[in-house]
Order: sequence, then structure tokens, then C-alpha cells
Amino acid sequence: MYRLFKTLNRVAFIKALIASFAVIALVLVGSRNLQNFDAALFAYLVGTIFAVFGIAYRYSVWLQRPSTKLYWKRSMQFLFSKMFIPYMLRSLKLFFKNILAQRFIAHRSRTRWIGHFLMATGCLLAFAITIPLTFGWINFELKPGDDLTYYTMVFGFETFSFKLGSMMAFVTFHGLVWCSILVTIGAAIMMKRRLTNGGLIATQTFADDWLPLILLIAISLTGLGISYDYTFLGGRTYQFMAVIHAIVVILFLVWLPFGKFFHIFQRVAQLGANLYKTEGARRGMAVCPHTKEEFATQTHIDDLKLVTEKLGFDYSKQDGSNHMNLSPEGKRSALAKAHFEVRKKSGKFFG
Amino acid sequence: MSETKYNQEMAFFVDMQRCIGCHACEMACAECETNGQESMIHVNYVDRAVSTQTTVQVCMHCEDPTCANVCPADAIHQDDFGVVHSADTSRCIGCSNCVLACPFGVPKKMEEAELMMKCNMCYDRTSAGKKPMCATVCPSQALYYGTKEEIEKMRPDSVPVNSFLFGKQEVNTKVNIMMPKGTHQLIIE
Amino acid sequence: MAKLPVSVDKIIEEFGPHKAYPPQGGFYGTNEPDKLVKTHCCYCGMQCGIQLKVKDNKIAGFEPWMEFPFNEGRLCPKGVQRYMQNNHPDRLLSPIQRVEGKGFEPIGWDQAMDKTVSEIKRIQKTYGNDAFAMLSGVSLTNEKSYMIGKFARVALKTANLDYNGRLCMVSAGGGNKKAFGLDRSSNSWADLKHAEVIIVAGANISETFPTLTHYIWQARDNGAKLIVVDPRMIPLARTADLHLPIRPGGDSALFGAMLKILVDNDWLDHDFIDNHTSGFAETIEAVKDYDLEWAEEQTGISKELILEAATMWGKAKTSFLLHARGIEHHTKGVENVLSCINLVLATGRIGKPYCGYGTITGQGNGQGGREHGHKCDQLPGNRDITNPEHRKYISEVWGIDEKDMPGKGLTAYEQIEAIHRGEIKGLISICFNPLVSLPNNNFVREALDKLEFYVCIDTFLCETARHADIVMAGSLHEEEEGTVTTAEGRVVKINEAITPPHNARRDGEIIMEIADRLGAGDKFNFATSEDIFNELRVASKGGTADYYGITYQRVEENMGVFWPCPSLDHPGTPRLWEDRNFETPDGKAHFNPVKYRPASEVTDKEFPVVLTTGRVVSQYLSGTSTRRIGKLVDQYPEPLLEIHPKLALQYGIENRDLVKVKTRRGEAYFPAHVVETIREDTVFIPYHWGGKSSANQLTIGNLDPISKIPEFKVCACQLFPTTEKGSKERTDTAYQSWL
Repeated sequence: MYRLFKTLNRVAFIKALIASFAVIALVLVGSRNLQNFDAALFAYLVGTIFAVFGIAYRYSVWLQRPSTKLYWKRSMQFLFSKMFIPYMLRSLKLFFKNILAQRFIAHRSRTRWIGHFLMATGCLLAFAITIPLTFGWINFELKPGDDLTYYTMVFGFETFSFKLGSMMAFVTFHGLVWCSILVTIGAAIMMKRRLTNGGLIATQTFADDWLPLILLIAISLTGLGISYDYTFLGGRTYQFMAVIHAIVVILFLVWLPFGKFFHIFQRVAQLGANLYKTEGARRGMAVCPHTKEEFATQTHIDDLKLVTEKLGFDYSKQDGSNHMNLSPEGKRSALAKAHFEVRKKSGKFFG
Repeated sequence: MSETKYNQEMAFFVDMQRCIGCHACEMACAECETNGQESMIHVNYVDRAVSTQTTVQVCMHCEDPTCANVCPADAIHQDDFGVVHSADTSRCIGCSNCVLACPFGVPKKMEEAELMMKCNMCYDRTSAGKKPMCATVCPSQALYYGTKEEIEKMRPDSVPVNSFLFGKQEVNTKVNIMMPKGTHQLIIE
Repeated sequence: MAKLPVSVDKIIEEFGPHKAYPPQGGFYGTNEPDKLVKTHCCYCGMQCGIQLKVKDNKIAGFEPWMEFPFNEGRLCPKGVQRYMQNNHPDRLLSPIQRVEGKGFEPIGWDQAMDKTVSEIKRIQKTYGNDAFAMLSGVSLTNEKSYMIGKFARVALKTANLDYNGRLCMVSAGGGNKKAFGLDRSSNSWADLKHAEVIIVAGANISETFPTLTHYIWQARDNGAKLIVVDPRMIPLARTADLHLPIRPGGDSALFGAMLKILVDNDWLDHDFIDNHTSGFAETIEAVKDYDLEWAEEQTGISKELILEAATMWGKAKTSFLLHARGIEHHTKGVENVLSCINLVLATGRIGKPYCGYGTITGQGNGQGGREHGHKCDQLPGNRDITNPEHRKYISEVWGIDEKDMPGKGLTAYEQIEAIHRGEIKGLISICFNPLVSLPNNNFVREALDKLEFYVCIDTFLCETARHADIVMAGSLHEEEEGTVTTAEGRVVKINEAITPPHNARRDGEIIMEIADRLGAGDKFNFATSEDIFNELRVASKGGTADYYGITYQRVEENMGVFWPCPSLDHPGTPRLWEDRNFETPDGKAHFNPVKYRPASEVTDKEFPVVLTTGRVVSQYLSGTSTRRIGKLVDQYPEPLLEIHPKLALQYGIENRDLVKVKTRRGEAYFPAHVVETIREDTVFIPYHWGGKSSANQLTIGNLDPISKIPEFKVCACQLFPTTEKGSKERTDTAYQSWL
């Protein structure tokens, strides 16, 4: 993936710039011209803007790859067709099932799903809390004359309120604590797998597999440290805790576009792949000339021929047919038959 | 992470005319720890109505893998030894591009798990200096894992070939196929 | 009293067969087992070396054993899945007792033993000792085989002990004894490597002994020509230099005609024939009229192919002839074997490097289990129970009066016939599932229902055990130490990996306790398996199968020792007959004249199609354990009727159509598998299934006069197409043996 960054991609660069400026604009608008912006979170804001730039850049580069581009194009084309309503509903259903709940992972392994679900839920909730706070979209206010009721301001508008010391206050102000606990348990489950599963041990790398888990745990524990400090230590170590936490979070934000966490943004493409298959099946299946059975959608086979051609592969044959018309089993049989003929012609199957 | 003992002297050799279709490789493949009881190797009859010919297919580990090229999610990674790994579980979106594009018909889509899986030459074993499961158990040695010198000595009239021509496309691979002496390429018409 | 206590579906529900699969990611502890136990696969005579992973006294998986010289890590699918027979939900965990109307209920060992022993005593007192019979099996170790031989004669005091080897290699044993005076493959498989010509007759090596394939392929790499004699194009035959698609039953005609060609062309080793053999003149006299036209007619193989095969064999300098059940499962099984041996002796290619001959034993301990008194006519060391000297020697070893030693008893199928006639009233069986593996099994079922008392020792409730009064929960291969002798005559060590689960017990302990309760405890005073083996060594001493020089220590150190090995300093004998001293009374190898005769049931207008049976690679014998291993069942879930497209067209049968196959014994339905890889006049059904899917409902119970092997490999049948297709339900339930 690093080779993508060797040369600057102009289109991506421009898109990334636009995205970054859009974030700044949203901060300005949402915080009522920085009126509600919490200056203590400035470093986080810078980190976030960098992350947005990086993600947008990489996403844009990614979408320019022939196969991704085609998938993107087709997904949009199929979604915004006369089948929009059923496809949208289907995609929404799958969004809840496979993106938010990641149910597909359960078919890989149950414990793995539990671990991943806890981590993902913790992270997503934490994003949902911290981003509006960092951008100054949400803040809490006390009103003169009543120093026991907190008012939640969203984009500067007053929404709900709650009493200090109430259950609601406890839950709200400890939101990140709950996230940290989820993430820590999830990451611990995933770490245990990485320590005991022989297959994972053989194939894992530090940067791709361990570093993300370590970072998540570091964020969670330092975040919990802040809570611990003001709950039990009366804020004596606040400065230290806050700085340490900020450092790990910003590291995380900066690394977000490059490392494993980018998959969070790629994962949505799964919905496109599903749509592509559904609409493709509606349009007609490809039948393997060898097995005489349906094996994929004809759209997929046709598109793949275009994609491979763009990538510099040419599986077309002299007789006008194409090796890619064969199903996987057909291809294997074709290879075996070709090998058989060569062996037979040589007069010897062995030796 | 772990220190690798992958031995680059060792190579994989396939000769499907020796295959007796017993499926021992398939059963053993499932025991490989990287694929958790899923079998990645393919054994199938070529045309059972007329012959008992079977074929056996492991991943050929192409030098320029079509599967990795067509992957929209950058999920297929080729390591420094030339081993083309199974899809990165965090990236794979289960689109099946690789399944349909691979000229050898190797990758498998696990439908429920929305994941492609394929042979990674038993990386848990080969990276520990052991032989892959399939080639270890293969009772006909249609699958052989060893050095080039060993196979040349054992099968003096055959030669390892790692170049294939599918239509107009030449594909070069890490895994070899055993062919009659004097052959340089297997042409699939 | 042996009718099913409840409906078969209730029995299946509780005791299986159920399919077991490994959990996703493998069993607990497969990553970090407590230990790796070097032992062997239990599923055929190759006895491939394998290491079992053990975690918390459970089998967690396997690891190839690269150092074991025969297979160097290679395994077949059964070997890979072998570990799955453990941890099985169907496993019997305590003795169970038949309760009318309820099925089977667990009981204590004391109760099971009391009932068994009192029934044995009652039946023997009422009807005589021989009215209580025993059937055993050769998937058992040498130690158990030996002990069962002794148990039947010393504790049970019955003449009627026989074993499932009777369905396996007895024809080969009979032929080998006649020709060589000794029953063992003449060579180790290492001699295949540089043989110039290899004949494989009636041996589906690629499916029944897959790991032997490597040796054949190696020989071909070295230039060997391969001749395969089989009615079907088995995987081994596909690339063979010659495939002789013989009509079932034509074997001795083919080999007779080939012998005549050798004689006509003088492709003979006169020196060997003159000095080391007898009976040559009579033997060639018997085949003098067997010209090619005649042979073509009898065998269904073209003249050209027969001539070419004989020429290849005749001109070779080194060679190896292998055969298995395909030529042995006949009413002329011994004759078929002898006609093969005649080809070997005529060319003198035996007892020399890369010159070999042998039968490929099918069962796990088919070799060792047939040497030490497991058979109705045999005593340890492959001695003869009717020979006074042999009786005297063994009586001394056993510490009994020779007069108390029972005589020759009935063979396995004859026992069933005797049960049916009401002469045998009680039965104890171990490691044998006759309801699936014997021919004409509707007759077998009728017989079982006539027993007054039937006790079975097994690990699973096999189809036959469903008819038992008491089933004792025994041990699996990996739960008791011992030795087995592989098909090449190599004695190897089976190591105990785990102890039997819950209330199951080692087979050896069960036998010893019954012996003790029958009052023969002093004769079964063995503390370990090694104690039994040491008595076996003495008992076999001086016999043809002499194990005296083999000890556990030597077996472990050398990864196997080949018998005969008469003394502790003897290296063992991988290759027999190098000294040309044959074990026959005159010290010579014997030619035996073989006149061709047809099978006991030939096709006619009414039953016009030849039916033959055999095995598939994913199943072992009657499937008691392999039909419980999910992946093996799924590989080939139900028996199919292999039929040539021309024959199929004649009956209007299409692929997957359900076909009724009928013989004079019974009828059954099988989905058609229309393939060009079988003779046009023959259909094939594999036999591993019970109940309605059992091929042995159709096969014939006629026996070879010498070996008493049933004629599984040929009978006549009718085909009736139906309008139905094979159904998913049939496919999915075939392994369970519904009636």
C-alpha cells in the first residue's frame, strides 16, 4: 500500500484538501464560530483533520484502482436504479447486520466475533462522543441561578437537560469509560487469540496485527486513567494523565489512514459487493462450459474481463473464447486435461 | 512476529497424473492451523462419466498474482518468499473477484463469512521448517515438497515447469508442475 | 432372543451412527498437546505410522510421523481422519443390556459379567460346549488375537472360534501354504521399487491401500511396466501400461492362459523349476488347452491384451505380482491364488531383490491376526489344530491337557449356518460386524434372531450388536498397547495413547475377566500386553510364523521387525526364500495344477448381469467406525451402482436413477452411477453399508472348498429401472443402516 504514496496523486490530493476544509468549515459552523469550541481539545482537532485528510486521500486513491472503480461505479448504478427501494432496504439491513453488528465474523469464529464486536462498538461509540465534542458541536452548560442542572447544547441549540448527580449524568459523563471497558475486553479477547491460535501466530505481523490492539488498549487505559484520577485522586495527576492520553489518541488518529484501521472505512464496500451480486443474479448467471453449471453472474465475468484487461492480463484465446469463461472447477479440469495430453503424447506418464 | 524458518531451498511440485483422487490432501489441509478446519486444496474428477482422472490443485503462488491484482480491497498479500497469502480478514469484502479471476481456479469464497480463503502453502508449517500437510500425506506423491535436486533424482525423465499459457496470457508461478523432459511451458488451450 | 428390542430408528437415535466432525479450529489442545504418541493407523494392512496428539487423556488430532520407514508421513483420507473415531458421541461408555420394548440400558460390569457367564454355562451345559461359538476380528492386535484363540479353547472350551479374516485373505493364506508352506507376502514392499513388471490383480490399491501407491509409482518412475487386472478402470489402471478389464470370475483362466504362453515361448527359469519346485509337469498339463481364443472367451479380455501381458511378464528380469480380494473372494479363491503363484514360480522370480509376490492384506492386523490361533483350524505360530505334535506343543505352553484342546471348528459363515440350523445357541463376538460384512445378510439376520444368548464386545453399537443381549464397552486401537503385523510381514508397535473413557474397558481386560469367571483365571494371568506377547513368542516358536526373536524393545528400536525371526539375534526376514528353502515338507515350492471352472453362480437369461462388490477409499470394512466420521461419510455418502452407459441404455437407466437390483437372495435399490470405467456386462456396488443400503443383501454365501471364503466378487443379478431419482434423503441417511 505504501507504493501508493510514492508519487502524489493529484485527484486524491485535491479531494483530501476539500474534505479537510469541509471539516474546518463544519467546526466553525457547528461551534457557532468557535464560541462553543473547547480550546483544550485543539490538539485533538488537529489530529482529526490530519486523519480526515489521510483517509480521504487514501480512499480516493483506492477508488481509482480498476477493480474498485468498477465496483463503485456498478454499485452506484445498481443502487440508483428502478430497484432503488428494495436495494436500499437490503443495504440498510445488511448495514446493521454486517457493518454495525459484524455478524459475518461469527461465521469465521464465535469468540472472534464477540471480541471484534466489543472493540468495534466501543470504538464507534467513542467516535460518536468525541468527534462532536472536539468539533464543538456539543457542549454542556449551567444556567445562572441553577448550578445543579446541566443543559446539553447541540450546535448551540439547547436540547435535553439532567440533574447533577443523577443517573443520567453518571451515564453521560462516563460514556467514554464504558467505551474503554468494551474496547479493553474486546482487545484482550483478540490478543488471547493471537497468542494461542497456531495459524495466527504463523501469519501475524507486529505492525498490522499487534500494534492496533496495543494502541486501542493504550487509549482505553489512559482514558480510564483520567477518570480514575478525578474520581479517586482528586485531579492530582490530571495534567500527566491528560497529556499521555492525548499523545496516544493523536498517534492513533495520525495512523488511522495508513494502518489496519483503514479497514473500518473499506468495510462498507461489502454492501456494494452484495448489491453487485444480487443485481447480477437478476440479470443472468454464467454457465461454465465444462461443468455445465451456473457458477457466477454473467455481469461479474464480463466486468472482470474488462478489469483484467486494464490491469494488463489477457486470458482470451485464439478461438475467441476466454479462459475466464470457465468456472474454477472448469479451469482446474482444463489444466489437468492439458497436462494429461502432454504426458500422453510423451508416451510416459511417469518418470 | 515469530522468527521464520521458511526454507527457500524447498519447493512445491505437482503431478496430477499421479493423483488417485483419494482426498487425503483435502482432509489433511483442513488440519492446517491457518485455515481452521476449512480445506483449501481442490480435488475433483475431470470427467467422471468417462474416466477416473482426478486433478488436484494447490495455489500456484504466481509471480504476478492475478488474484491480488483484481482484489478491490488490497487484501491479498505476497510475502518476500513469494508466498501469496490468504485474504487479509480485516480487508476482504467477499466480492469473489479473485475466485473468478484466478486462472487455476484456486481461491474459495466462504459465503457466510464473506471471506475469501486460499492455500498459503501451509504457512504455519512451512514457516516452521515443516512440509505442507497435503504434500506430507499425499499417498501418491502427486504433491511433493522438497528440493529441486531431490525431485530431479527421483523422477529423472520429468522436469519441473513453472510457466503456463492460458490463451494469450503467460503466468509464471512459484509452484512447479512435473512435465516430460524438454517441456518448458504448459499450454492450456 | 436376539430380535431388536425396539425399532431400529430408536436405536439409531441413541447409538448412531452419527456423523462426527472436528470443531472449528480443531479440538482443544491441538495446538499444544500434552504428548505425541507414535502409533499406527487402524484402517488397513499397511499400518501407516502416525502420531496422535493427546490432550487431557483425549485425542486432539494427529501429526504425520515422517520417520516411520513404510509411509514416511504419507496417509490416506481414512488415516488423516483416524483420530476422529475418538471423542465420538456414539461411543459406548459402559456395558449395556437389551431390554425388550425399551432398547438398551446401561448396566454395571459385574451384572454384565454375571449374566454372560451364567448364560455361557447354561447353554454349554444344555447343548454342549460347541453350542457356544465365538467370532472375532483381525483389526485386533496380535496380543488380543492370540489371547482370544487361547480364550476360546481354554476358557470357553469351544471348537467354534473363527474370525472375519475368513472374509479377507484366507484364500491367499490357503494358496500360500500349499505353494510355499508359509502364509506371508514373500517380500517387503521395498522390492517393488526396481521391479521391471508389476502385475496388480484384483487389488484396488488406489482406494483400499492408497499409501502403497507411492511404491508402485516409484517403480514406474524407475521404468517399471504396470499391468492392472480389474473389471473396472480403477485410478491405478487409468495410466497403467496395460489394463486387463477382466470379467469377474475369469481370473484363473487368464493366469492359466498366461502360463501357457510362458511355456510356449519358453520364458521359463528351468534351473529354478528343476531344482526348487515340484509339480510343474502336472501344472502345465492342466493349461495345455488354454489358448488365446479360449481365454478371451472366458475372461472377456482381448487376445492381444492377454498376449501382451504374458509377453511383458515373460521377458522381464525382475517382477512383482500383487493380488487382493478381487481374485480371492471366490469359490475358487485358492485356485486363483495358485494360478498367480504358478506364474511367479515358472519364471523363478522370487527370493531375489526386486522379485516378489504377495497378497495385500486388507484388515489392520490381517497378517498377524491370522497367524496365532484365531482361526477355527489353527494354533499359534500358524500351527494346525489337527496336527498331534502341534496340539501337544501348544497344550504345554498353555498348561492344559492336550485331550482338553478342542478340535477343528466351523468357519465364520458355517457358524452362521449352524446358528440358523439351531446347532449353535450362544455367541460371543468381538470386532466383527457380520450383518454388514457377510454375504446374503438377510439370512444372517434370521440366524442372529435364533440365538438364545448373544454378547458382543465393541466400541460402538454396530449393526450386528443391535441384536445382542449384552454389549460390553471395549477399547479402541489407541487405548490398548500391543503389536500388529503389517501386510508385508513387519511386526510394529501399537502404543496406548489414552485410557478407555468412562466405564469402557480394555478388550484384553474384558476377555481376561470372562476367562477368570469361567474358571480359567490362572491361564490368563497377564499384567501387561507385553506379558501376552512374550507368551505368544514362545507359543509361535518353531512354527512357520515364528516370532520368538521379536521383542517389544526390538520392534520399537527398529521401527518394526519382519517375521520369521526365530532368535533374539536374528535380524528378521524382509525377503523370504533367498535360501530357496521353502517351508513345504519337501522343502520345494509347489506348482499346483489349476483347471479353470466357472463361478458358483453364472449369468443366465433370468439373471443376465454380473454383480461384483468392493470398497471405496473413504470407508473401511463394515464401517462401524468410518461410517461415524463425518468427512469420510460425506466423501462418498451412499453406495452407488456403477454401470456402463451401454448397459444403462439397454435398460433405459440414466445417471442418478434409482435402480432395483435383484438376485436370488434379495433385492435393493441403488442410484445409478453411469460411467464408462466398468465392463459393459458387470455392475459394481461397494459394500460398507448396512440395512437397506447393504450390497450384501444380494451377494452369495457359497464358499471356497478349501479356504471357506464366500464368493463376494461375483454373482448374477437382474436390473429394474425405476422412475425415481436417487434422493437427498437416501443419500443423507445411508450411513445409518435403516432397515
